[in-house]
Parts: sequence; structure tokens; C-alpha cells
Amino acid sequence: MKKLSLHFFIASACLIAVAEAFPINSKKAPESPGDIKAIQSALLAAIPRAEAATVNIDLGEGSGSGVIVSAEGLVMTAAHVSTGVGKDVTVDMPDGTKLKAETLGLDAETDAALLQITGKLPEGKAFPFVEINRADDTKLGDWVFSLGHSGGFDKERGAVSRIGRLVRVANTTIQTDGALIGGDSGGPLFDMEGRLIGIHSRVGAVIGQNMHVPVKVFTDNWDRMLKSEFIGEGPFAEKPKKGKGYLGIATKPAEGGIEVTKVGKKSPAEEAGIKEGDLLRTLNGEKLDSREKLQSILAELAAGDKLAFEITRDGKDEPVNLKLGAR
Amino acid sequence: MAKMNRSISSSAPVRLAVAVALALPASAQQSLETNYRTTGAAVTAAFEPQRAVIQLSSAVIYDGRKEIAYGIVITADGHILTKASEVEGVGQIDVRVDKESFKDAKVVMTDPRWDVALLKIDATDLTPIVWAPDSKLPRGTWVVANGVTSRTNRRVLVGIISADAREIPPEGGAVLGVTLKESKKGLSVEEVSKDSGAEKAGMKKGDILTAIAGKPVKEIAALGKIVGEMKAGTDVKVTLLRDGKKMELDVKLSARGDLFRETSRNDQMSGDFSNRRSGFPRVIQHDIFGAGSRTMGGPVLELEGRAVGMNIARANRAETFAIPVEELRELAEGMIKQAGK
Repeated sequence: MKKLSLHFFIASACLIAVAEAFPINSKKAPESPGDIKAIQSALLAAIPRAEAATVNIDLGEGSGSGVIVSAEGLVMTAAHVSTGVGKDVTVDMPDGTKLKAETLGLDAETDAALLQITGKLPEGKAFPFVEINRADDTKLGDWVFSLGHSGGFDKERGAVSRIGRLVRVANTTIQTDGALIGGDSGGPLFDMEGRLIGIHSRVGAVIGQNMHVPVKVFTDNWDRMLKSEFIGEGPFAEKPKKGKGYLGIATKPAEGGIEVTKVGKKSPAEEAGIKEGDLLRTLNGEKLDSREKLQSILAELAAGDKLAFEITRDGKDEPVNLKLGAR
Repeated sequence: MAKMNRSISSSAPVRLAVAVALALPASAQQSLETNYRTTGAAVTAAFEPQRAVIQLSSAVIYDGRKEIAYGIVITADGHILTKASEVEGVGQIDVRVDKESFKDAKVVMTDPRWDVALLKIDATDLTPIVWAPDSKLPRGTWVVANGVTSRTNRRVLVGIISADAREIPPEGGAVLGVTLKESKKGLSVEEVSKDSGAEKAGMKKGDILTAIAGKPVKEIAALGKIVGEMKAGTDVKVTLLRDGKKMELDVKLSARGDLFRETSRNDQMSGDFSNRRSGFPRVIQHDIFGAGSRTMGGPVLELEGRAVGMNIARANRAETFAIPVEELRELAEGMIKQAGK
């Protein structure tokens, strides 16, 4: 009896070691009710965790989806959702919790982007996250499932789950035959083990034609995107042009710096608390000894870039930090 | 193989409308044959037990030779449920169950709240659908529904439960479906919207609306407030003056979104969605494609071949709603009981 159970243990241990690939994927099509049930069992096991990590990304004037891939709240999404580097956005967790987030780097040519949730979960809880399939071993015909906040966030509905197969595979795009729609952009595509294999990018004219960015595109550019680099020239995001950023102040020369004479309504300057009469002394460590100096610094910066001022107001010195806006 | 693709975030102004060449080689090895895709025959072949149920216990509803909806056989003697708004106004409704054709089905009754019609055909020995005990299926559960149909053969399409069961409130609230002008006598009807409850109840341009739900109204805002607090699909008594004579009509309120549709970008990419797709007390949701609005009304089966609901609205290309079996069964039994009276 003892011997038998030991054998059983060894056999099952081996099974676990080789049970890497989802067995139905080796068949051209499911062949029996058992195969159908195996797909269903895999989905039922994988969807809850996948759903917990699938977030809505609220951009103010629209929304997309994303998926959390670390306990610290790193999110993978599409470049045409994040649209830029260093942008402040809001993330909706599945339970409706709204958290602040900042876009990190992106690859404008392949539609890949990262963002970091900066807000904290209650009691500092770790973020639910999904595993990335770094093995890059998916192949044509594999069964997959998609999640996403189709048409925008709906707490009662939750993220929408859909099934499909990999119907085309190429280096920077994989195609599935599930159904996607607006709001799904940036959402996750999973293999049957619930590992992330792609990010939703765009749809074709036919329903069963959806394009996703494979995770390999992300992992190849991972460090650069983590460092908030804007990679590539488009078409999925437009690189902000230097010198086209918006601050929203008028100034005049003054003793020890330049003085603010006017602050634009709803400008980045106003939102950062800059007021008429403030004396701007330095910007990003450089002395503002003339209005031309301010202009020459701004000429080298673009929308989304950080500005750190040292100012004097009512005789008191204080720092003011803000991001250059887009015109 | 250059194709126009569209980026898919939810609002037009943010997203660049990207037109990108699909940079994929068209070689055969790189593309999965249609037969093996999720909607393909090789995949649906594994769902033969469920297809056999669809063959016997679903109905195909015709207007002439045109398929307009599917239906569910609920009694052996020919009671069939279908989507009411798809059969409304059809002169002669013909029905096919299994291999047999039945001419001129009678509309026994409709339920506007759920958008369900009960049809009766002259039949015996049909195989009624078997109801599932409940619709509480977790997302990821397989579901099966009607696919392409021929004279003799029903095919199936498959998908999964996609979302949590929930209410779908009427899009944009309830409206009568008339344009009004304030006048000394009351609210004069300037225009009656096509397909609105007002039109169906017989309201006409020139009518003077004097009261609603028994409450006298003189201002458009006051009327809007009363109607706004009611649900689309409910009947409201409208008091009118026509040619100086007082008359009363029962008007079924429409959902604003169904009547005055502002086509969103998502609607543009969705193709053929259901005209009525909101205002349901509770739905379950799945991802079976179907071919658009004409594929509603049929059963949604689980793997045991039992119906967990009835397809009621194709909301968009990624979302289809079904009436859950609990409510559907109660509705069906209630309708049959009432019809028997």
C-alpha cells in the first residue's frame, strides 16, 4: 500500500512537471465532450485572478483597459491608450476603487505601453496581478481568452470575458477570433493557464478579427519603457514636440528673477498654485535671470516634462513642481 | 494584405483613428483555417449533443423567406417564445421547427417589459426545451446558441458567459415619442416619432395633450418630469383633445436611446445590433457572435443541453444579452396560463 502511494506521488509529480502546455492545444479541434469540459475547467480556474487584475484606465476624455503585472501596481496597456509619457490618469479597480496612476514609457510603433499605479490600496494591500508568459511559446490555434472594460467601466457588469483562438501569429502582432470593441484597448489576452500573452490593440472590419501586441514586444523593450522612454515615431502615439509645451504665465523682469504678471485660467501654472506677483528664481536648477532664459529652457522641453521652480512669495521661498501641459 | 484596422478605446476624441497596415504574412501556415476557428465547423462539431437540442427545440421565425428571429419551443402543442420587437408588424409569421414548416403562426401575447412574444403554431408532438435549474453560471462557462440554419438542419455557435447578471436600464430614460409645443389649450403635438409608443397608440400631429397618468399638464417640463420617473415599456394613460373632443389613449413609453439613437463609434463598428437593447430587468451576458439582430429569440444552452436563457438583444459586436431562465420560465408559464383563460 505504502509503495503504491509513493509511486502515485512520483507519477503525479512528473505529470506536474510536464503538464506545461494545455493539452487541448495539441489537437486541431476539440474532439469530445471531455475536451470541451477541459477548456471550460481551465477558463473557470483562470478567469477570477485575471479579472481581479484587469483595470479600467480613465483618461478623462475616454477610457481603455490595462492589466496589473506586479504586486506594486505596474500595468501593461496599449500605447494608443496611454498616449504619452508622464501623463496623470485614473485607474478603476474592479471593485470601483479609483487610484491615481502615471504613464511610463511606450512603444509608438507596436502599441505597447506601461503605467504605474501611484495610489495605494486600502491598508497598503498588495495589488492583484497576473503572470506574464515570458516563454513566448504560444502557437497558431492555441485557445485564448480576452478580458477588457468594453465600452467603459461598469462595476455591476465587470470586465467582459471572451473566448477565442490564435488565428494569426507574427512578430509584433497576434490575431485572435474573439470579439473586441472600444474600451477593450490595452486589455489583456491570456493563454489557458491564465498567463498574459498579449495586449488588445485594434479590431478589423470583421468581428472575429482582433489584433493584439504580443508580450515579447513588451519584454524586449521592458527597461526602456520602465525608464519612461518614448520609443518610436508612431502611429499609435504622437511624440510631444519640444518647445510646444504649455505653462500659462506672463512675466516681467524683476530683482533676483522674473515676476509673474498673469496666470492663464486652468493652465498648468494655475493648477500648480502659481500666482500673480510670485517671483520665479530658478527652474530645474538654472537661474532665471531673464525672460529669455525661461523661454530657452522651455524650448528644450515638451508636454509632460517636469518643471521644478524655486519661487519667492510674500518674502518666503518655496518650491513649485508641475508638468508642462499640451496646447 | 493591407487592411484598415481601428483602434479600440472607448471614446472618439482621444483615440487617433489609426489606419494601420496589418503587417502579417498571408502564408497558409500563419493563418488558422476557417474550419478550426471558434465559429468553424470542426470546433462546433464537438457540440453535437447541444446541436441536437437546438435542432428539435429551437424555432426559426420567417417573414416570407426572410429569417427574422429564432424561438424556443416550450410546449409539445406548439407554443413558441421569441423576441417581440423582431416579429412586430409582420403580416404572416411562418415558423420552422426541426424539418417541418408551419404557416401563419398566431401571436398569442407579448410582454413589452421583456420584449418577448408568445407564438402558437398548429403542431403536435414537438419536443419542448428543458430548462436549466438556474442561470447562475460563472463566467467562462460554455454556452451554445443557434447558428446558420437550412431547411432541414440547424447549426450552432458557441461562446462563454462573459459578465455578471444585472439589470440593463433603459438607454436615456423613458419618453412618449412626440415633439410638443406649449399652447393656450395645452401641449400641442408637433411631431410623432416613428416606431414610438405614441405612434403605435395612434397619437397624431395636432392632438392637444392635456393630462398624463391622470395628472393635468400645461408645461413640457412638467410632462418630462412625470414621464422621466417612469420606466420604458410601461403603459401610461394620455388624455388628449382631438378636433375639440376629449379622448384617452394608452401609450407605451419608449427608451429614449432606442428611439433617438446617436450612433457611437462603438455602434459603427458593431454592425447589426438589436433595435431594442436596453430596459431589461435582468440579463445574463455571453460572447456568441451570431449574425446580428436577426439571431435573437433562440435558446442559450449550457453543456447539459438545458436552456439557461433566451437571447434577447445583441448589444454590440462583443456583448449579447439573454433573459435568465428563472425569469423566462416564470414569464412563459404566466403567458400560457393567461392565454388558456
